[in-house]
Amino acid sequence: MNLLLSDHSFPKDLPQKEENHYIDLTQLQIKNCLGCFGCWVKTPGKCVLRDDAVKVYPLIARSKNLIYVSRLYCGCYDEPMKRMMERAIPMQQAFIRLHHGETHHVQRNVVEKKAVIIAYGEIPKQEREIFKKLVERNSHNMLFSDWSISFVSEEHLEQTIRAEVDAWENC
Amino acid sequence: MGKLLIVNGSPRAEKSNSKKYAEIFQSFWPEKADTYSAVSQKSHALFSHIQQYEHLLFVFPLYTDAVPAVLLSFLKELETVPLAKSVKIHVIINCGFLEPKQNEVALSILRYFCKKNHLVFGMALGIATGEAILATPFAFLVRRKMKKFVKGILAGKSETLTTAMPLSKQLFLKASAQYWKNYGKQFHTSEEEMRSLKIEGE
Ligand SMILES: Cc1cc2nc3c(=O)[nH]c(=O)nc-3n(C[C@H](O)[C@H](O)[C@H](O)COP(=O)(O)O)c2cc1C
Repeated sequence: MNLLLSDHSFPKDLPQKEENHYIDLTQLQIKNCLGCFGCWVKTPGKCVLRDDAVKVYPLIARSKNLIYVSRLYCGCYDEPMKRMMERAIPMQQAFIRLHHGETHHVQRNVVEKKAVIIAYGEIPKQEREIFKKLVERNSHNMLFSDWSISFVSEEHLEQTIRAEVDAWENC
Repeated sequence: MGKLLIVNGSPRAEKSNSKKYAEIFQSFWPEKADTYSAVSQKSHALFSHIQQYEHLLFVFPLYTDAVPAVLLSFLKELETVPLAKSVKIHVIINCGFLEPKQNEVALSILRYFCKKNHLVFGMALGIATGEAILATPFAFLVRRKMKKFVKGILAGKSETLTTAMPLSKQLFLKASAQYWKNYGKQFHTSEEEMRSLKIEGE
């Protein structure tokens, strides 16, 4: 399965295929994670907050190809994407394992991912460097086997999204 | 010394580890500090008197390798209000995993926030094993580092301190498994249920 998750609108005419899912976060209602760990200790694999996020994390889990499109803030994913990522922890168990020599959570049924992260806007060099380190850390917790980051201006965003979605064809 | 405001950036503010770390901080800080919870969204009331603070101390958990979304939202608002001219920013961050280096990106995000807004970054304390350490005999390590952290602020220093349970990786895996099994028991959830591979919607 292939998933595009974006905090920005994207071209309407992306290829319609059963294995492709396109999600525009601006159209969803997603609350902040409560930090309750209910998804680990109360209803394992299921978030206690029943808003739109519960439709998204099962898709993230099943996707082999993932495109995240996000604005940045201080070298971090900006709020909409960050909020969704926090709400995706039902994909993991409470239990911890060694992964790349570090302690990380055991994943539930999560497919290993090839991730493309498109960060858009005017992004100064220092902010880019912080973000690269963040994605590298995320790669361990989010089961990215391979990942790349494109920094693009908002003006070039649509064409970058289109090119990355087209690249799924060759995977 | 100047007045200090503690900003709790944990979504579970009242029940948070961050609150406990903030309390330990207060036990060493020579004056009474004020506290504000980012999740309360009462920034309007806070901002009317925020200029009186010489120190802002952010206390928060690591969330998906970075700063929690609730705190990002507060930082954005903070950028829009005038602060005391000599204000200094300090950070106590805690994460669940064993390695203190997992907190580093979140600290760079806060440092970048300061640079962008021409604010002075003071002391940082990065706590690993922060979900559990206070309930173990190693809690004294946090108190010891906190004392040093407070001294650093009072001396006008800018340093990064770290602490964690001094456990081998294998021992940490065992201890954390026990911690989470006990957590599950409070909700009558068995280990087997917690180890389920199923994610809703399958
Ligand atoms: C949504 C979410 C994401 C988390 N992400 C991480 C992480 O990336 N690395 C880590 O070590 N701990 C992570 N944790 C664990 C918390 O940092 C840890 O439990 C901390 O003690 C919580 O502090 P608090 O009670 O002040 O919120 C996460 C917890 C939650 C709920």
